[in-house]
Amino acid sequence: MTDNSLPATKMSARDVHVYYGATHAIKGVSIDVDQENVTAFIGPSGCGKSTFLRTLNRMNDTIPIARVEGDITLDGENIYSPAMDVVQLRARVGMVFQKPNPFPKSIYENVAYGPRIHGLAPVKSDMDRVVEQSLRRAGLWEEVKDRLHDSGTALSGGQQQRLCIARAIAVDPEVILMDEPCSALDPIATAKIEELIHELRGRYAIVIVTHNMQQAARVSQRTAFFHLGHLVEYGVTSDIFTNPRQERTKDYITGRYG
Amino acid sequence: MSSTLVPEVPVTNGREPAERAPTDWKTHAMQSRIRKRYAAERRFRLLGLGAVALSAAFLVFLLGTMLINGAGGFVRTEIALPLDFPALSLDVEREQLAQRGADLALAGAGLQNAVGVAAVSAFGDEGEDYLADNAWLTVREAIKDDPSILDRRVTIAVPASSRIHLAATDDAEPAIEAAAARLNAAGALTRGFNWSFLTGSDSTDPTSAGIWGALKGSLLTMAVTLALAFPIGVLSAIYLEEYAPKNRWTDLIEVSINNLAAVPSIIFGLLGLAVFLGTFNMPRSAPIVGGLTLALMIMPVIVIAGRNAIKAVPPSIRDAALGVGASRVQVVFHHVLPLALPGILTGTIIGMARALGETAPLLMIGMRAFIGSAPEDLASPATVLPVQIFLWSDQVSSGFVEKTSAAIIVLLVFLLAMNALAIYLRNRFETRW
Repeated sequence: MTDNSLPATKMSARDVHVYYGATHAIKGVSIDVDQENVTAFIGPSGCGKSTFLRTLNRMNDTIPIARVEGDITLDGENIYSPAMDVVQLRARVGMVFQKPNPFPKSIYENVAYGPRIHGLAPVKSDMDRVVEQSLRRAGLWEEVKDRLHDSGTALSGGQQQRLCIARAIAVDPEVILMDEPCSALDPIATAKIEELIHELRGRYAIVIVTHNMQQAARVSQRTAFFHLGHLVEYGVTSDIFTNPRQERTKDYITGRYG
Repeated sequence: MSSTLVPEVPVTNGREPAERAPTDWKTHAMQSRIRKRYAAERRFRLLGLGAVALSAAFLVFLLGTMLINGAGGFVRTEIALPLDFPALSLDVEREQLAQRGADLALAGAGLQNAVGVAAVSAFGDEGEDYLADNAWLTVREAIKDDPSILDRRVTIAVPASSRIHLAATDDAEPAIEAAAARLNAAGALTRGFNWSFLTGSDSTDPTSAGIWGALKGSLLTMAVTLALAFPIGVLSAIYLEEYAPKNRWTDLIEVSINNLAAVPSIIFGLLGLAVFLGTFNMPRSAPIVGGLTLALMIMPVIVIAGRNAIKAVPPSIRDAALGVGASRVQVVFHHVLPLALPGILTGTIIGMARALGETAPLLMIGMRAFIGSAPEDLASPATVLPVQIFLWSDQVSSGFVEKTSAAIIVLLVFLLAMNALAIYLRNRFETRW
């Protein structure tokens, strides 16, 4: 880090438009995601925050009618340029989904899958270490260390979501995108995930989509407010919540609509 | 503030609307409605039970008839034939019997005639008719096993002719009934398991007709069908489901595949005749052509089942794999295919079972010919079990009736074995983690 007041930009978007067929879902969003902080995307349902998140690791590529315009860079490299390998991009920009989606394989295999396909741990002992370290960072090791070869789908919802985080961590990503990671979880499991986000901050650039404003206030340092496909306001989380500059942000935060 | 969302309370002449009377659940009308509902439930349950019972009864009747009729096909009647070899004076060198030319030497020495002579001297003028046409082969094997019997009198159990077999087990003409009764009284008739039925091939003589030729033909044909239809069907399903763009062309392909699955099988036979035999000049009656034709027939079934199974894999699993940086091929082969495999296998079983029982298309490509020996490879002439059943059921000789039933039993056992294997595989893949 060169300057404390201006943390290093990890990902940056400039005038990004996303179309689903004839629908214009994202309208000219420009945003910088920095390395050191947790960035939260908030906004009412259907405002495009999840859509925009999915452009950051090109998950929208799998939707045939989706079209992305504008520039998105990771460490200055355009991720939509032909030179960028999408498989490597998704390894560098990992993702955690709304609903916990472990593979129907053992806990060990869930975590080991990513490193294996990328050849990150060719020796069994290396792989064991990667699996243990990932599960430890995801705060799941103590709960599952004696049953690594049980099915990952047999865990509780909160444990499954932490397993998914461990799976994302295991490929040693630079950025982790989280798409409403707690919306399917109970409050206790949610608290554990939030605590985990705090611990992971700094090691990985984290972007989290949430429709729970309290959660955004608790876990993030930067907050972006989306509305109807526009980025309305982006700034330091405490400013957004206490002193929003835009009328629409204020209305949303005070519960006028949502 | 005008609140158009809240409906206006209906006001009638400034008074409240009349209060609704409390519902009385005990009235006669209510009670009879309950009774009617119960009766309807009972009726429906009985109807369902009746339907199941009826189909079970048909199945039991079918299997029972097959087993009763077919059991006889696995049994043969044997006659104890006394053979006085020194008197028959076979002209054969002992050292020849140890060599590979033994069969030829014994045939050249007139063994077939000698067995006939022995039968005449033992059972009278018609004695030769009591033995099956291939009875002398049993004697030949006995001599090869122990050449020393050529120096003495022995009694060998040889297969009886189809007429004696029928007379001994069932009704026949009075003359032959009497002969069978006489033989039986003399203790010459015994019954044994008909191994030659399982090891032999088609024959014009029901006693020596066997199922092995048709069974091997079916095995080879099924192997070709599976080897072609399974990979091509599964790859098509994967491509259409995971890679193909959704446009007018893929819609057209989908409709065509659905229609192909419903095309009558004889049309596929005509296609096989025109394309494989006509254009490519492939051998007639060969398992490879039968397999190709049946593969064309069941491919649509496998594609449809495969697409449905692939469609049923939750998209979240694909997202998860893509999210850790798996390529499309890795997503398909590491995650989608293992989860879809049980469903794909179910479709394949249905297709293969249909192919195994198929007769019509194979008739078109010449598999209805009389084939007297088991096929040696994929290109040699063969027949298959259902066609063999069809051919035997058409025979005038009454000895073929029980052979037909016995062949049906073999076909059903083959079918059950195939299904059991597939179910075993399916369960194995379902519990892989």
